[in-house]
Amino acid sequence: MTIEKNLNGTELTVAIVGRLDTATAPDMEEVLKESFEGITKLILDFEGLEYLSSAGLRVILQAQKIMNKQGEMIIKNVNKTINEIFEVTGFVDILTIE
Amino acid sequence: MIKINHLRKEYANITPLKDVNVHIHKGDVISIIGPSGTGKSTLIRCINMLETPTSGSIFVGNECITDKKCNINKIRQKMGMVFQSFNLFNHMNIIENIMAAPMDLLGKSKQDAYDEGMELLRTVGLADKAFNYPDELSGGQKQRVAIARALAMEPEIILLDEPTSALDPTMVGEVQAVIKDLAKKGLTLMIVTHEMHFAREIANRVFYMDEGGVYEDGTPEEIFDNPKREKTIRFIKHLKVFENLITSKDFDFIGFNTSLEEFGRRNQVPQKTIYRAQSVFEELGVQCILPKLDKEFRLNVAFEYSQEEETLSMSMKYDGEHFDVRETPNIISFAIAENASKSIEYAEIQEDGFTNLVTVKIK
Ligand SMILES: Nc1ncnc2c1ncn2[C@@H]1O[C@H](COP(=O)(O)OP(=O)(O)OP(=O)(O)O)[C@@H](O)[C@H]1O
Ligand SMILES: [Mg+2]
Repeated sequence: MTIEKNLNGTELTVAIVGRLDTATAPDMEEVLKESFEGITKLILDFEGLEYLSSAGLRVILQAQKIMNKQGEMIIKNVNKTINEIFEVTGFVDILTIE
Repeated sequence: MIKINHLRKEYANITPLKDVNVHIHKGDVISIIGPSGTGKSTLIRCINMLETPTSGSIFVGNECITDKKCNINKIRQKMGMVFQSFNLFNHMNIIENIMAAPMDLLGKSKQDAYDEGMELLRTVGLADKAFNYPDELSGGQKQRVAIARALAMEPEIILLDEPTSALDPTMVGEVQAVIKDLAKKGLTLMIVTHEMHFAREIANRVFYMDEGGVYEDGTPEEIFDNPKREKTIRFIKHLKVFENLITSKDFDFIGFNTSLEEFGRRNQVPQKTIYRAQSVFEELGVQCILPKLDKEFRLNVAFEYSQEEETLSMSMKYDGEHFDVRETPNIISFAIAENASKSIEYAEIQEDGFTNLVTVKIK
C-alpha cells in the first residue's frame, strides 16, 4: 500500500493505493494520526484502493469520529467492490461517500 | 518427427537431464510441466541445439542433429522458438522484425517477405502495428509479434518456453489465444508452461518432468486427473490445493496472501475471486477465529479450485474448544465474509487433533 497526502490550506486529501488490510491498516492509522491537527476537511481518495478489510474499516471509522469533532470527512472514488463492503457493514450510513 | 534417445545434459555441478527418451509425432501439441529446475528449459534448448547435449541423440525427421556433421542452421529453420522475453530487435519496426530472417535465411524477396509478414500480423491481430517499434507495444502484443516472427520462417515445429510468464495477467489471454490457433492448424508444438488450465486445454500430450527426465507422459486427462507415479500425483495435488498450517498469531500474513495469489494465478482463478478468498480468510480466520484460539494452536487453511464448476472452496480446521464461527460477536467481519461467500458452514469434528471445521464456498 502507498499513501499520498496533499494539503491545501486546511483541506487534506489522502490517497490510498493498494491494499488496506490487517497488515497495512496500522500504517494508515499512523499517517492519519500525524495529520489531523488543524484540518477541517479530510478527503479519502480510494481510486487506487484494491482491497479493503475490517481492519481498514476500523481506521476509517476512527478518522470519521475525529473529523466529526473538527470538520468533515468525505470518501471519494469508491469502486463497486469496496462500496459493497461499506454497504454490508452499514458503514454507508456513517460515512459520506461521494 | 522428433526422436530423443538417452539424452543427457550435464553442467559442472548439476545434471538436469539424465536420460530422456521420447518420440514426438507430427502434429503433437505437448505441454511440458513440472517443478522449477527439473530441466524443462534445458530440454527445449537441447532440441534446437542452443545447448549441446552431453550424450544421447536427437533426430529431427531423419537427421541426427546431435551429429557433428549435421547442418544445424538448416534444422533450426524448421524450428521456431519463442522465449519468455520477446527478443525483438528494438531498432527495427514490427514488419521489419518479421521480414528479416525470411529474407536473410530463406532468400525471400522483399515483396514476398512483406506480403507474408503482413498476413501473419493479421493472424495474430496486429496488422495495424506493422510500422510501430517494439517499445510502442504492450507485452502481450510484443509476444504476439514474436510468435508471428517465428511463423515467418515456416517452421514445422515451434518450441515455446513460458511464453506468457513475463506478461501482465491481463495480457496472458490474448497470447494464449494465438497459441491455441497454432495448435489447431496442425503445427507441432512444445510448450513449457506453469499455467495448468492452458496446459491442459491446448495439449494432446503432457510431459511431467522430474528426476532428470520425462517422469510421466500421458494425455491431459491421464496426467491431470489420473496421474500414476508418486511425484506426479504429489505435484498435481499440490496444484489444485493450496494448504497452509498456521501455528502462531504472528504468522506471515503477507506471505500467505501472496501464495494464495500465486495459487490463483496457476489455476486461472479470476482476480475478483482471489480478493474474496483473501477477504474470507482475513475476516473469519484472522479476525474471528485466531483471537479465540489457545496460546498453542493449529489452524489449517486449505483452498481448492474446481475448474469445471469454477468454484473456489475453502476449509479451515482448528483445535481447541468448540467455536462456531457463525456465532462470532464480530458482526462486521462476519458481514464482510458472508458477502464474499456463497455459503459458510460449520461442523464439530475429531480429526488429527482438530475439533472445528469451517467450510466456505467463495462467491
Ligand atoms: N548454463 C547453465 N549452467 C549451469 N547450470 C545450469 C545452466 N542452465 C541451467 N542450469 C541448471 O540446470 C537445472 C535445470 O534448469 P532449467 O532451466 O532447465 O529448469 P526449468 O525446469 O526450466 O525450471 P523453471 O521452471 O524454473 O524454468 C537448474 O538447476 C539450473 O540451475
Ligand atoms: Mg525454465
